[in-house]
Amino acid sequence: MVDVPAGPAPARITDSAWRVRTRRGGELLMSLLKNPTTVAGLVFIVLLLGMAIFAPLIAEPNTPDAYQMPRDWGALAVPPGSPGHILGTTNVGGDVLYGVVWGARTSLRLSVIVVSLTVLIGVTVGSIAGFRGGKVDEILMRIVDVFLSIPELIFALAIAAVLGPSFRNIILALAVVFWVKYARIMRAQIIHVKENEYVDAARVIGDSPLRIYLKDILPNSITPVVVQATLDMGNIVLVGATLSFIGLSEAGIAEWGVLVSEGQSGISAGRWWSSTFPGMMVFLWALGFNLFGDGLRDVLDPKTESTR
Amino acid sequence: MSLIDGIGPEAAPRARPAVASVKDLRVHFRSKVGVVHAVDGVSFDIGDGETLGLVGETGCGKSVTARSFLDLVPMPPGIKAGGAIEFRPHHTCPSCDGAGCETCDDSGRQAEPCDSCNGGGCEGCGHTGQRTIDLLEISEKDLQTIRGNRIAMIFQDPGKALNPALPIGEQVAEVFFQHRADDLLADAGASDGTEALGGALIQRKAGLKTSRIEDFLLSLPPLRGQRTKLMAAVQTRVAEALAETQIPNPRKVMDRYPHELSGGMRQRVMIAQAIACDPDLLIADEPTTALDVTVQARILELIRDLQQRHRTSVLYISHDLSLVKEVCDRVAVMYAGRIVESAATSSIFTDPHHPYTQGLLAAIPSANHERGRLVAIPGNVPELIDPPAACRFAGRCPYEAPACTAHDPLATTITANHEVACFIHHAPAGDEERPTWDRKVR
Amino acid sequence: MQIRDYILRRLMVLPVLIIGVSIIVFALTRVGGSPIGVYLQTGMTQEEVTELEERFHLDDPLPVQYVYWAGGVLTGELGWSGVAAAPVTDVFLPKLAATMELAISSALVAVVLGVALGTFAGARRNRLPDHLTRVFSISGAAMPLFWFAILLLIVFWVYLGWFPIGRSDPNIYARIDHPTNLYTIDSLLAGDFGAFGDALWHLVLPAATLGYGATAIIARMMRSSLVEELQEDYVDAARAKGLPERLVLRRHARRNALIPTVTVIGLSFGFLLQGSVVAEIIFRWPGLGRWMADSVLRGDQATIMAYVLFTSVLFLVVNLAVDVIYAYLDRRVVLGE
Repeated sequence: MVDVPAGPAPARITDSAWRVRTRRGGELLMSLLKNPTTVAGLVFIVLLLGMAIFAPLIAEPNTPDAYQMPRDWGALAVPPGSPGHILGTTNVGGDVLYGVVWGARTSLRLSVIVVSLTVLIGVTVGSIAGFRGGKVDEILMRIVDVFLSIPELIFALAIAAVLGPSFRNIILALAVVFWVKYARIMRAQIIHVKENEYVDAARVIGDSPLRIYLKDILPNSITPVVVQATLDMGNIVLVGATLSFIGLSEAGIAEWGVLVSEGQSGISAGRWWSSTFPGMMVFLWALGFNLFGDGLRDVLDPKTESTR
Repeated sequence: MSLIDGIGPEAAPRARPAVASVKDLRVHFRSKVGVVHAVDGVSFDIGDGETLGLVGETGCGKSVTARSFLDLVPMPPGIKAGGAIEFRPHHTCPSCDGAGCETCDDSGRQAEPCDSCNGGGCEGCGHTGQRTIDLLEISEKDLQTIRGNRIAMIFQDPGKALNPALPIGEQVAEVFFQHRADDLLADAGASDGTEALGGALIQRKAGLKTSRIEDFLLSLPPLRGQRTKLMAAVQTRVAEALAETQIPNPRKVMDRYPHELSGGMRQRVMIAQAIACDPDLLIADEPTTALDVTVQARILELIRDLQQRHRTSVLYISHDLSLVKEVCDRVAVMYAGRIVESAATSSIFTDPHHPYTQGLLAAIPSANHERGRLVAIPGNVPELIDPPAACRFAGRCPYEAPACTAHDPLATTITANHEVACFIHHAPAGDEERPTWDRKVR
Repeated sequence: MQIRDYILRRLMVLPVLIIGVSIIVFALTRVGGSPIGVYLQTGMTQEEVTELEERFHLDDPLPVQYVYWAGGVLTGELGWSGVAAAPVTDVFLPKLAATMELAISSALVAVVLGVALGTFAGARRNRLPDHLTRVFSISGAAMPLFWFAILLLIVFWVYLGWFPIGRSDPNIYARIDHPTNLYTIDSLLAGDFGAFGDALWHLVLPAATLGYGATAIIARMMRSSLVEELQEDYVDAARAKGLPERLVLRRHARRNALIPTVTVIGLSFGFLLQGSVVAEIIFRWPGLGRWMADSVLRGDQATIMAYVLFTSVLFLVVNLAVDVIYAYLDRRVVLGE
């Protein structure tokens, strides 16, 4: 379509590509900020991340392990507004505010670890499948299909159950379950991008496959992965908290799902607070990333924009 | 506004009033960068029984003009920025019942008298004595009685304009249900409403008004007979309509889905659907563009044949002058939201006056051209965001003079029925420096 | 013709996927070491242990063990449930009925509500109802079910006392026979409308919990596919025929928009299965999900594996059915173009 002048100078191209990319980045940000729901998502994310990062300043860390709930045995199940316990305490004296604040940190840890692991595995597997094609592709994709046939939560629940209840095993279980989507997205992208003429052009000038992959294919196929990763930052906390709620974490850690579960027994007695606040945090966390991811998809993939 | 001045009293009188008159139509679109003046002061008449070709490049506003007749321009982003589309609906001629006779000039239709003057001629009807409706002003409900009934439309791509999930027959039947419910009931012998409940239900069914529960009631034995009769009546009509467009085996085609038919067949279905109610005006929006060249000729022939037999007026939208030459009585050339020239087909082709029209004609590849050389008009269509008062072809025009960028050219009648909006033919106000036919060197 | 080919092709892949799932499940049973522990009792001699291993083929190589295990599963030998103190197979059906009653009623509500809401929003694109529906849908995707359920519990059970928890009133339960174990159906079969009302009454809270998420998924899909369909030429063509907007929507746009929505109905069924675990815990619904959760906490492997295997197969079959329906509805997909 576009006339490409013969014999482009490579140095200039990198330069202009870089400039193009930064300019595009600026435009992207502008169009992101135009959508009020995306901005709302961003605000939630910033507030929650701020809470996670500055947790030690908001609630004094428990010793020796800050991720362990402190117990105030002198104030069991006190309602919100009590002195020293703004959001009240659980049946076993856990300060709800502490759980809410440090739970953000736990969630950040969980989602960052799981998302990095799953993106790494998924992108690798998907790239191999898409790039190599043939038998390798066939086998890898059948494995992906099998993984996708087991409902996410149930799969993670089973893995975590076999490994034994602990927060570390929840991380492991989620990693095993969540990589498949990335593999599938990445493979489709690679197969699509591979068809482009610039890839052929790079092959013709004699670039090595790895160079072609890193310079031409990966940057052009990563956007849907970024969108999915954003959405998964929220989803993983959602599923992780559900597993904790069911009882697959160690009891007593500062985690929102654990806290909701701890508060559950007091509900019939009218003690609503120790379940309500941490649950709301899970909701806001997932909502923030969902709204932001949704806006990101609109901006990065103009095809779906028209259907919004 | 400029074009309106050209029409008016001094325009050549016609034997019968125009079926539709577009007056200074303006349709704009809101966009991120500003308001696009897609259609910006378009005026033309479509004479009774006439085929008018509206020609121009992609994006010149011809489709928007056509869609405005039936209020099919999406709003927003579209804006009705002004003007009127006057339409004079007809009804079946009472003396021949549609067969064609002396009184109705063999068309089988007769103009409806004006409501306020009853044929005498008044302000409301533009002294035609005929009922005149402004299509831009009437209510959605009134428009629905005109759409598909008095004005029908054929779309560019019949593959997209037919619903993929409904059989052909059901789609054509909708037109009859919507506009000919009484005839259907009469055909089915149910018009007198013998049974209270059944009669009411079957009448609702004929008007496509039944809810799911009512449909269920109609499928039960006591009412099923009437329903079967009604469906048989509609199917007969659908089959007749399909046969009219020379579709072989219409009864079989009725049960098919659109994707099971060829492009040409689908367009025949669209045409059958459009002429089912014998409309006064048929709008054909590039009806052959999406078809194979071999099929194009046959569809064109079909439209011409139907137009002659039914004496329907046709607004034929196309970017292809050579096609227009085949079917149209008169041609209006559109450029950048304006009509730049309009005349009888023969004079457009033998005696084009606007430089743009000349360019278009020169761009038609023909046997006279040197092999392998195609002529193109230099430059691009201007962006129509807040256009200045100037000739829109200035900048691409080989005869451009200073006046062209300073003033807006008016449509001027140069010979009977031939109008051109170009300063070569009339002097701009207070400026005597007119362009001449001296080609500028570019 | 081609539809049949497509169905056949999909049916041929199904066993491969099921075998794949069963391998994963088998692998899970072996991850935590030999499952011999379940059968061990204190004071067993080495010979007795070896004998047990031989009896359960645990001394064979893993692939051979898999074949024995899979054979057992096929003949309905799913092992012993410690939680129910009974063979898994015996407890499975009544619990399944409880879960299905919940899942199906939620699905019904979700499909009707979701389609209606999506249509309402899609036809009013970028106006207030559309924005509200968007907020509703995205909240649904981000909503932790366990929290939503607890909120409902706090408001409608603890404070207002409008709806009960559990599956039925014990007295009413004892009043009628339970041939199908679907209490709504059972009560209707018995002609006992009081019991029917009781069954429905108990369904409200858990079904609302599950239905919310599924409604959100369906509404969102319906809305976006309706918006897409409304931009198609055939919609304008239908208007050009003179059809009123109501019919353009009902006979044309909505009919086509429903087609892609069918696919998410399959996906949302997976959502209902997962959600039932949480909803059943919180509302004390005696179904598969709660049994699974209890078994997870007790390390009751046989139940967990039976549950995973069963839900996956069910999920696969439902999605296969949905894809077949989709192919049938959308003739463009299979039959060309």
